[in-house]
Amino acid sequence: MVMVTKAPPRPAPVAHRALRLLLASGVTAVSLVAAPGTAAAEDDKSAAPKTLTVAVSQSIDSLSPFLAQKLTSTSIHRLAYEYLTNYDAKDARPIPGLATAWTPSPDKLTWTYTIREDSTWSDGKQATAEDAAWTFNKMMTDPNAATANGSFTANFAKVTAPDPRTLVIRLKKPQATMAALDVPIVPKHVWEKVGDFSKFNNDKQFPIVGNGPFVITDYKVDQYIKLKPNKTFWRGAPKFDELVFKYYKDGDAAVAALQKGEVSFVPNLTPAQADALKTQKNIKVNDAPGRRFYALATNPGAKAQDGKTFGNGHKALLDPAVRKALFLAVDRTALVDKVFQGHAVEGEGYIPPRFGSYFWKPADGQKRAYDPAGAQKVLDAAGYRKNAEGKRVGKDGKPLDFRILCHATDPNDKAVGKYLTEWWGKLGIGLKVECLDSVSDPWVKGDYDLAFDGWSVNPDPDYVLSIHTCGTLPATPKDTGATDNFICDKEFDGLYAQQAVEYDAAKRADLVKRMQSRLYDTGYMNVMAYPNALEAYRTDQIASITTMPEAAGNLWGQDGYWSWWSAAPTASAAGEKESSSSAGLWLVVGPAAVVLLGVGLWAARRRRSTADDRE
Amino acid sequence: MTTASTPADVARAEKARATDGAPRTGSSLGYLRHAAGKLGGALVSLFAVLVTSFFLFRIIPGDPVKAMTHGVPTSAEQLATLRRQFGLDLPLWQQFTDYCAKALSGDLGTSFQFRAPVGDLIAEKLPATLLLTGVAVVIYSALGLWLGTRSAWRHGGLGDKLNTGLALTLWSVPSFWLGLLLIIVFSVGMGPVPGLFPTGGMESGTGETGFAYVLDVAHHLVLPVVTLVAVGYAQTLLVMRSSLLDEMGGDYLTTARAKGLRDDAVRRRHAVPNALLPTVTMIFINLGHVAAGSILVETVFSWPGLGGLFYQALSVPDLPLVQGLFVVFAGAMILMNLIADLLYPLLDPRVGR
Amino acid sequence: MTSTKPTPPSASSLTWERRRGTVARFWKAYRTHRAGLFGLAALALIALLALTAPLLVGADVQSVTKAPGTALESPSAEFPLGTDQFGRSLLGLLIWGARISLIVGLLAAALSVAIGTLVGIIAGHYGGWFSTVVMRITDWFLVMPTLVLAIVLATVMSRSMWTVVLAIGVTSWPTTARLVRAQTIAVESRPYIERATALGGGHRHVMSRHVLPNVMPLVLAQTTLGISTAILTEATLAFLGLGDPTVVSWGGMLQDAREAGAVSSGHWWYLAPPGIAIALVALAFTLCGRAVESVLNPKLGVGR
Repeated sequence: MVMVTKAPPRPAPVAHRALRLLLASGVTAVSLVAAPGTAAAEDDKSAAPKTLTVAVSQSIDSLSPFLAQKLTSTSIHRLAYEYLTNYDAKDARPIPGLATAWTPSPDKLTWTYTIREDSTWSDGKQATAEDAAWTFNKMMTDPNAATANGSFTANFAKVTAPDPRTLVIRLKKPQATMAALDVPIVPKHVWEKVGDFSKFNNDKQFPIVGNGPFVITDYKVDQYIKLKPNKTFWRGAPKFDELVFKYYKDGDAAVAALQKGEVSFVPNLTPAQADALKTQKNIKVNDAPGRRFYALATNPGAKAQDGKTFGNGHKALLDPAVRKALFLAVDRTALVDKVFQGHAVEGEGYIPPRFGSYFWKPADGQKRAYDPAGAQKVLDAAGYRKNAEGKRVGKDGKPLDFRILCHATDPNDKAVGKYLTEWWGKLGIGLKVECLDSVSDPWVKGDYDLAFDGWSVNPDPDYVLSIHTCGTLPATPKDTGATDNFICDKEFDGLYAQQAVEYDAAKRADLVKRMQSRLYDTGYMNVMAYPNALEAYRTDQIASITTMPEAAGNLWGQDGYWSWWSAAPTASAAGEKESSSSAGLWLVVGPAAVVLLGVGLWAARRRRSTADDRE
Repeated sequence: MTTASTPADVARAEKARATDGAPRTGSSLGYLRHAAGKLGGALVSLFAVLVTSFFLFRIIPGDPVKAMTHGVPTSAEQLATLRRQFGLDLPLWQQFTDYCAKALSGDLGTSFQFRAPVGDLIAEKLPATLLLTGVAVVIYSALGLWLGTRSAWRHGGLGDKLNTGLALTLWSVPSFWLGLLLIIVFSVGMGPVPGLFPTGGMESGTGETGFAYVLDVAHHLVLPVVTLVAVGYAQTLLVMRSSLLDEMGGDYLTTARAKGLRDDAVRRRHAVPNALLPTVTMIFINLGHVAAGSILVETVFSWPGLGGLFYQALSVPDLPLVQGLFVVFAGAMILMNLIADLLYPLLDPRVGR
Repeated sequence: MTSTKPTPPSASSLTWERRRGTVARFWKAYRTHRAGLFGLAALALIALLALTAPLLVGADVQSVTKAPGTALESPSAEFPLGTDQFGRSLLGLLIWGARISLIVGLLAAALSVAIGTLVGIIAGHYGGWFSTVVMRITDWFLVMPTLVLAIVLATVMSRSMWTVVLAIGVTSWPTTARLVRAQTIAVESRPYIERATALGGGHRHVMSRHVLPNVMPLVLAQTTLGISTAILTEATLAFLGLGDPTVVSWGGMLQDAREAGAVSSGHWWYLAPPGIAIALVALAFTLCGRAVESVLNPKLGVGR
């Protein structure tokens, strides 16, 4: 009975607690209890594997790297498989992963990667360029294998491995993200036996063969995923003896578990939880600048590439004056103060300040600062007069009433919705907050006026920029596109095309900033805040851990595997003595007492009933 | 408990059954006819559930295929392929016949989000729900029977008033709220109370085996079971109490007393067995209800059962999974009702066989 | 279900006289039930609070932009129950929330009982294969997992108070239908119904003038009991995030408390009051319902 992650229980209090419990539960069961209780305690002393337990809530969609898209799944794949490149913990610059070096050809169309020699699969076989080539080719040829990461290989013409140390990728057109291919490389000798990639979830045989810092050893749906360190990992083996992702579907239960020491780390805290945990002993709250932006998006009139429009977005939102007035009436500092309780940074440009080289903010003349009076003037000037009830009337003579699409599962959406309703109400504009579990259906159909929008930005901003280009609109209204909210702007597209083929980092950064400026000016989106990552861990279990970026960074959902790979246990981070012994106690004492009581009662009644019969 | 029936409701429904459902002929042929009738009714109900689950979930707004591919560039052809894979391209009636044929052979389709057979997903989570609800129902039935008997025997007294009062109060408490309070007090620890129980889950996942594993699971069971028992035992108590009160008006009890039997002997040998009838059938019906009702408790205690799976499936919407779970939940109700119907005449001493 | 036939004033006043007598007798019997009186008193108090809420706390209590306090303050003289994450007074919200919780509870129970009564009377009155079919449907609804069905309905429809009312109403009527049907059959076997039919009273007349008044007491008891269930179900749906996020209800407050992380950050004053309020109202309605029931049907034994 050897336990995890439990706080350093000094022997004395444990004994005391045991004693207390015993006394409390009556002395009847002493003999029953003594055996399991002490046995557990002894086991703990002999072997005390150090386990790092992470609380998670999101279910795994699949353990197959070809299918997995959810954050929990992809984070675990980052731990179990090497990717060609990784991101530096300091500044997220691409650094060697499975590849030690990479160079483009002069025509920018051929990339050559050198594969490292010191990476072996956990079954002992050498990881080679052949594995990488097979992985990419599989994704290019089998649509079922392209489910999760197909966007990376869509522009690949040909992938070959001329020798075990060399991987050559030929592109159809230049692609700036070639050092940021977030594709787990799988062992060919294992995966070539898989038949149907759409159905294979990689969760039947453990341990799962991989070459990352950890090896997945066990998985129970919505209960836990266990990983053991890969002792032969080329960068050095992780320091904990085991890494467990444990499920807590309820956020409060996860925090309670952290307070008890059942888990070592909890992500996604609410401001109230973070503030309460800050004052507690042995718990460190990490309040780091986030990688997400949180925005308002307006429906610019959903359109397909064939020019057909669809959806039922409000026509008044096509008027830049209306959008401007709406955005001017949004007090972003109040939102940061009230909704995020200060655990966020006021939104400005598109990419969060955390990505310093790409961060852009509007110039003074360009900026839409909070100005409710100005918003009224803009509407007055644009001819939206107030009617008798004080409501603004649109060009069609009807009062302006908008809907906003909100994620029912996101408390921030609902909270911000309350503020928007009141702010815009003062402008004379009605707002209906429509919260849905799954917003994708009205969203892809264009059946919304406004929506809460937000993306996690990768160190390479290509993807979050691409979703605002005309090319990602659905081909026809019947298709689905990668587009975020149907924005299509020729100037933005031109800049996007330039940055996509720009291999000079500084020049590309400049182009990216110009794109953000253009996006800001089109006025379809209002970035309200960059929420912080709020997370907490136990300092009596984790002695040190690397955040990303190293200075003021986050731990959960990093781009690399730094947090869990680097985490070092404290000297005392041993087993879960306290709770397991109390478990033993309670579970033996309780039933034992009940049984004794029952037997006693039964005997007593028995005696009485025989007495009855004699009567 | 948030099943939509008050304790009193159930009490009356049970009485209705007592006068309604049991065969009046005193022969085994009569029983067989009764059983066959109930069995037929259950099959019709089951078929009706299949039909509803199919059509009910077609009205959920949202094209599942588009929802699945949100944010992923997908051409019309790819969407069509996906639709074909999931059988969504066929006309509705054909989807329906396929669905029924497959459901009858035990195949509930493939989950959209987990890409695994629905039957497997349900089978994986079923034991956890069965364990939780089974333990809870056994305990609260026993508790309800015992307290209900005591209450009825001394009805009108202080003990009875306290007893029913407490049961009704606990019944009025939202189960999820009680669960959260229990976590705060007994799991995190509050004031002098140490954090005795785990905050959630079904096992520590630390590789215990054998007896240690049983202990570990039992340890995790305590709080969710306490929650279910607290909000649920009022029903058993009240039904037992009211049917015992009815029995106590019976002439045969007076006769028994006249024979010189002591009160508790009268109670034990004559009144209680008769009063048990409606209560026992209600317990079976409750078993069916509790499975669905534990959705909340499972969420609060991160219990890896069907309730959590159901909620997760709804948000996609993962039609095959939601359908499958709905059929399982409703099927459990039908099965338990059937068992109650079949048991009733067997248990009732007044109905000869 | 209102009568369309005009009745002479004299007959009407006679009827009223008789009804007043019934009410007086009912009240006399009800008064002997202490628990029922307690329930009634509690309900009267809560209803008074809910009705006077606009005067007591004002609609501004819901406003986030005019919130007087800071986030999650603990109880103080200014905020006796503390504040929520937006700095609004929790006591004010609790009082304001009573309105929605009670309205939803009442409407949902009324809807459920209305459907149940309609189905029950029609099935009981017409009998034959029609009744069989209707009761089969009822039985089949009876075995549906109610909560699951309500969750599905609430998910399917847009988030609003009416959705919740509808979801609860259409899933919880079968018990009432069964009871009303049984009562209808019992009433219609009485001789005066035959007389009424002989005198030319149509189906509609019999159902609305004779059967309905006789099943009304049962319906009343059923409604009272149904409200407590409806309030609990409303809280459940709100807790699962299926309520209307734009209005304040007790279930919604619990959901807000949970989303704010009040449970684990030790802000028990945020979590406790709405739960207690829900339990109190549900208990009060149950006590009233049981008292009403035992007055109307002393043989039932539940209220003794």
